[in-house]
Amino acid sequence: MHDSYGNVCRVTDGLPKSKAETGGIGRYMAAIELDGVTKRYGDVTAVRDLDLTVEGGEVFGFLGPNGAGKSTTINMLLDFVRPTSGSVRVLSRDAQAESVAVRRRTGVLPEGYDVYERLTGRQHVEFAMRSKELDGDVDAVLERVGIADAADRRAGGYSKGMRQRLVLGMALVGEPEILILDEPSSGLDPAGAKEMRDIVRDEAERGTTVFFSSHVLGQVESVCDRVGIMREGELVAEDSIEGLREAVGGEEQLVVTVDAASEEDLEGVRALAGVSSAATDGGTVTVSCESDAKTKVIGALEDAGVTVKDFSTEEASLEDLFLTYAGGDGAAAAAKSDDGGAAATDTEVAE
Amino acid sequence: MSLEAVARKDFQDAVRSRWLLGLTAFFVLLVSVVVYLVRPGAGQTLSTSALLGSVFIRDALVTTLIPLIALVVSYNAVVGERESGSLKLLLALPHSRADVVFGKVVGRAGAIAVPVSVGFLLPGLVAAIGPLSLRPGTFVGYILLTLLLSAAFVAIAVGFSSAVASNRLAIGGAVGLYFLFVPLWGAIQFPLRLYLGTGGGPSWLPIAGSELLRLLRLINPTGSFKIVSGEFVSGTLFAAGQAGSETAGQYATQMEIAAFAMLVAWLLVPPLLGLWRFEGADL
Repeated sequence: MHDSYGNVCRVTDGLPKSKAETGGIGRYMAAIELDGVTKRYGDVTAVRDLDLTVEGGEVFGFLGPNGAGKSTTINMLLDFVRPTSGSVRVLSRDAQAESVAVRRRTGVLPEGYDVYERLTGRQHVEFAMRSKELDGDVDAVLERVGIADAADRRAGGYSKGMRQRLVLGMALVGEPEILILDEPSSGLDPAGAKEMRDIVRDEAERGTTVFFSSHVLGQVESVCDRVGIMREGELVAEDSIEGLREAVGGEEQLVVTVDAASEEDLEGVRALAGVSSAATDGGTVTVSCESDAKTKVIGALEDAGVTVKDFSTEEASLEDLFLTYAGGDGAAAAAKSDDGGAAATDTEVAE
Repeated sequence: MSLEAVARKDFQDAVRSRWLLGLTAFFVLLVSVVVYLVRPGAGQTLSTSALLGSVFIRDALVTTLIPLIALVVSYNAVVGERESGSLKLLLALPHSRADVVFGKVVGRAGAIAVPVSVGFLLPGLVAAIGPLSLRPGTFVGYILLTLLLSAAFVAIAVGFSSAVASNRLAIGGAVGLYFLFVPLWGAIQFPLRLYLGTGGGPSWLPIAGSELLRLLRLINPTGSFKIVSGEFVSGTLFAAGQAGSETAGQYATQMEIAAFAMLVAWLLVPPLLGLWRFEGADL
């Protein structure tokens, strides 16, 4: 079921990831620095006292349910909205006063954008190139995001996924030092979402800092170095996925197939040190426990007269992990999809 | 240059709109009708100045219709992109908000130049083959002045479009501005002319009644345009030594310079005011 969660953070192998590894020089200085940032709209606080640093060359996943303040934060990086208080710096420049200079070195896939209906895909990319004052191969860009065959069609006729690809292509123009992607996978089918992740990986390998938001965990975990989780305007967690998993408890789930088991048979198991819960439907017994308690659990079941046919273990589900931080009370609807073999289970958190 | 990139994109976008296509056809048709109506009888020819000075061209077509077309094409220039979200695409690229506002003015003014130029040139060419003795210099110059007038109204509309947060406000603003500058201004001017022009106005006015009338005419871009274009067509624009001949429908050089400066001011001031509001806005 969740065996695919073994693959995490496998992207930027070989790249220096932090100040410590590079001595804090060169392009691996902090790419994004938010310091005590608050944004209020009237009496609504969208972002509250946010401190966040993303190192150069890092792939940072910015998670949280819709309405948690992710897009507001990203909009402040781009000077679409201005912070009520606090300082926002991107590539060591003031995000508001030097916004044009920041955006010259940044590729952006914004949230809630629209394309120019009457212009073709090619014209969009040409516009991005002219705006960044460079000449480039328009076809190569369109090829890379997989819409070369629609280059000369009006973008108004594009599907949501094609628009998303087009705008990603515009973001990639000019080899930006930092990519800011707001919900990049929205509108993409599973294959498209995988291509998106592949592009993020390629860019990260080139040394680009990638900051992307998502309310879908599966799209973040397989490409990121670190994640931050937003909830109600505040950053509630900031760590690597392994780190988060440990913080949540590092428990495993032990699923034991048995001939027959009753609630009484589980009493011995529940009494064991390191076991937090146990349940059975008669044919299988599911136990949440620390990993070194597994043998004792099997032993306790056999002591109770239950015949153990088979057993398997799973790590704590990242889904549970995410919900622990972001969801609060389990008002979450889980929608799962398989993206064709890659390591991902999509966990959507309802608004 | 960033402003140029925005202007080019906006021009490309706007010339493909169905509105503009329709307006071009409409304008060509109207100018053709006017040329037909003022056509001279058999054996006679019509001078360029008589054509362009005619009440059809000057009053009905240019100063009534051009402001309308300009406002229609430009009212949603900025706020439309803001509502649809394409503004985020624009500002994700390295453009300042000033580049966006002035790029829009240039782009839309360029887009309007298409129907206006085609509308004048096509019937003009046809007429030139016929009985119209066309002075190409005057004709082209007049078109350029018309483009200046339309650019002034584009600037007014774009400035307004930058300042407001919703499309509905922008439509309301465009309609309001049109009624202010076109029918209302004329409606106010007429009784005022009767009142001030004869008696010299009330004594509490710091300036003479005729001065106030001139000021009113000058402030409205269509009024400035009438002064400049009228002088241009009759060949007396910026020509020295005609002070005092104002009774003959001619203006002093000072007045012409003021009118021209006023048109340029309309080109710059509304976008700057709009930009001032736009700079402070959260998108």
